[in-house]
Amino acid sequence: MKKRRKIFSPVYLTLLLVVMYLPIVMVVIYSFNAGRTIGAWQGFTTMWYDRLLANSLMGDALKNSLVLAAWSVALAGVIGTLGAIGMARSHFRGQGALETLSTLPMMIPEIILGMAYLVIFSAVGIPLGMPTLVVTHMTFCVPYVYINVSSRLVGMDPAIEEAARDLGAGPWRVLLDITLPLVAPAVASGMLLALAMSLDDVIISFFVTGATTTTLPLKVYTGLRNGGTPEINALCTLLLGAVFVLVSLAQLWQARQRRRQARDREQANRNQPDRA
Amino acid sequence: MKKLLSVLLALSMLAALPLLSSAEEEKVLNIFSWDGYVDYASVIQPFEQQTGIKVNYAPFSTNDEMFKKLQENGASEYDLVIASDYILNTARLEGLMLPLDKEQLPNFANLDERFISQYFDPDNEYVVPYMSGIPLIVYNPDMVQIEIDGFEDLWDPSLADSIGLIDDARVSIGMVLLSMGQSMNTTDDAVLAQAKEKLFALRENIHVLEYENLHNSLISGDISVAYTFTPYVALALDANPNLQVVWPKEGLGFGIDGAFIPANAPHPDNAHTFLNYLLDGQVAAVTAEWQYYCTPNAAAQEFLSDAYKNNPVFNGIYDRFGDAEYVMNLGADESKFQDIWTEFKLLF
Amino acid sequence: MSGGKGAKMAGGRGTRLFIVPMAMVAVLFVAIPLCYVLVISFMTRGDNSTIQAIFTAENYRRLLDPNYARVFLNSMLLALWTTLLALLLGYPFGYCMARANRRWRALLMLLVIVPFWTNALVRLYGWKILLQANGPVNAVLQALGLIDQPLRMVGSYGSVLLAMVYCLIPFMILPCHSAVDKMDWSCVEAARDLGAKPWYAFLTVTLPLTLPGISAGCVLVFVPSLGLFFVSDLMGGSLMLVGNLIRDQLLKSRDWPFGAALSVLLMAVTVLIFGLYRRSGGKDLGVF
Repeated sequence: MKKRRKIFSPVYLTLLLVVMYLPIVMVVIYSFNAGRTIGAWQGFTTMWYDRLLANSLMGDALKNSLVLAAWSVALAGVIGTLGAIGMARSHFRGQGALETLSTLPMMIPEIILGMAYLVIFSAVGIPLGMPTLVVTHMTFCVPYVYINVSSRLVGMDPAIEEAARDLGAGPWRVLLDITLPLVAPAVASGMLLALAMSLDDVIISFFVTGATTTTLPLKVYTGLRNGGTPEINALCTLLLGAVFVLVSLAQLWQARQRRRQARDREQANRNQPDRA
Repeated sequence: MKKLLSVLLALSMLAALPLLSSAEEEKVLNIFSWDGYVDYASVIQPFEQQTGIKVNYAPFSTNDEMFKKLQENGASEYDLVIASDYILNTARLEGLMLPLDKEQLPNFANLDERFISQYFDPDNEYVVPYMSGIPLIVYNPDMVQIEIDGFEDLWDPSLADSIGLIDDARVSIGMVLLSMGQSMNTTDDAVLAQAKEKLFALRENIHVLEYENLHNSLISGDISVAYTFTPYVALALDANPNLQVVWPKEGLGFGIDGAFIPANAPHPDNAHTFLNYLLDGQVAAVTAEWQYYCTPNAAAQEFLSDAYKNNPVFNGIYDRFGDAEYVMNLGADESKFQDIWTEFKLLF
Repeated sequence: MSGGKGAKMAGGRGTRLFIVPMAMVAVLFVAIPLCYVLVISFMTRGDNSTIQAIFTAENYRRLLDPNYARVFLNSMLLALWTTLLALLLGYPFGYCMARANRRWRALLMLLVIVPFWTNALVRLYGWKILLQANGPVNAVLQALGLIDQPLRMVGSYGSVLLAMVYCLIPFMILPCHSAVDKMDWSCVEAARDLGAKPWYAFLTVTLPLTLPGISAGCVLVFVPSLGLFFVSDLMGGSLMLVGNLIRDQLLKSRDWPFGAALSVLLMAVTVLIFGLYRRSGGKDLGVF
């Protein structure tokens, strides 16, 4: 029985991951397609990479996207986490309504939200640009952090926090030293999802972006809808490549830290043989 | 509130006017169009190098989104918009366009006369025609038993589950109307009811509805017939030269995309410079060949390659103006088409 | 939560302040736009997507058209299937992830998320390449002798469903993973010690304990899948979903008030579903 589970788990994980990455492999392969279509393979070329790298508009868009994602995800992370903790630890009238309202951006069709933002920002006279992009992205990112952190907080023993408070810790102390470390994994996964949402959003972005703050997804989306060239595939390939290099470096660094810790512990044990 | 704001804004702009006119315009140009519709490598980059003007390119995915944004923003963010005929007309009627200064556009004379003075700009005051195209039928003779020469053939029972149609109420219902010998812009309820019935009869033959990129499915063999826009027909032919292109005998839909300068564009002079550059014969030829559209530029003809000129998709358009019809905006009657289309898609 | 009162007293005023930023965002960027949508849904359309400030309930009367009801039904069904499949595929993944070696866990989480940092459309094009008539999947099936003629999978309901699940599955995996991860395993061990078979222990102990994660995942998948119309469009599904309908009304018919009324109905339906869920004991789950 035990053995079967041990085999099932890695096999299933691998299988699903392979399925997840297969379409991406196809995207990468077709970034080298000499034809301007995904319908058939028409020979090998690196032309699309040359065009891409020469295109300063792509660089602008990449920069805009990264700035936007960093700001909106960071803000959503703070606001959503604080909100989830606050909501879980207090009870007041209208709490349900507030929770629904905060998570509503996920339920509203993006197009109507985007158009409403456009009308409201224009009416108030707020110029469209990075600030409007950041606040709207932050708004639809908050629910992802909030829901993840809330579900982690449910059933978590409040006694630990209470104990800390009894010992005289203020709310911020409790938050930083007790609660945050406990919910950190949920905050992380919520922010990762929020990042994916921000990097993927086109519809709301379109309506609230300015003339000079085009984001990468906007370019990709409209480019694909306009026939699309393998240039878009090349772009995605390069981005994925960059992400994987970063992820691998982070993994290597972590592994090294772990090894060092293990060595230190071993050393410490060896220095105190009696205690064993 | 909004009015007060715009009055204040206008006043402050008036005050700043003498300052602005004396000073040189900032070296920036903000373009608003479909992504890649003005190619960076062959058009924008050389322009930037020649003039030192930095081009920003904001993309949209549909004409209607563009219009909404321009309308809300008072047409004040972008310097140059390229969009389709029917929305150009709406934008002109809404007063969102800045009159062109022909003094700054000597190359305007390069345009083929048949493409100017169109309904969206009868007096050529606002719009510079950019590209033009006609949706066509294209099919794979290896997979189709019959010979197709018009829309009517699409209803042939041998084409069961093999057609790809454009997922757009106006274009596809328009196609049905053309096949009935009617105008694509009819609002007659009796005619539309007939068209609806005929459209529903086509359901069995349709494999897929898609707005763009139908050529992919045709090339891959998922469908054997497609009714789609000019560049997609050309792209399909590129990948599979065996495909047959059909100029439907019943009549043609027709479209022109044009460029205009929004009413309150921040850099109108740069926009004129760029428009004049686009109108250059050589630039227009490069653009047509890359975008796979027909160019309305007469001066471009001498620079077009033979491969392009001999392509059955591009060489026919100049002789076919008589049969072609624009899809126009119908205001509130637009809903009639959308409702038919909604019901039709519920059959899938 | 059972310790509600105690938590309140202990939490005090300081903790409640944590809610302020989220409440501000909710009011400024959610409530106000929503009120705007609600107001215009009662107005009359003007020319070219303008709105005339004349009150009417006509937009809501139009919703009674059975065709629109069928559009809503289509969307609900697709969303339900998507959620179900995402749960069946995603829960075991989250579970296995949580049971994996700590070293692997962070890497697995990243591997799940990274594909989603690239544009959804591009990934869907990847699927199209895989599934098209001359694509690798057909090639493999033909090489294995399983089929003679290539299957035309692109555009089928199955391909749309697959693409939907693919787009949304991380939103199921991550909450499930987080729920399994924080679960108290001593309960399962206790059940096993008392002689429960593994499957029985799973159903009676693990599953109920991880319900908050499952419900969070279902919400995160179901709700967005109601609005993700471009997936069907891109896979050639030719389906008429609420999202298509709203987009067509807003942009093509340029009928803002009716588009707004459709949106209000969609939101009302979603909120209603979760209201019912909350009533029927969902409260214990904390999330919704």
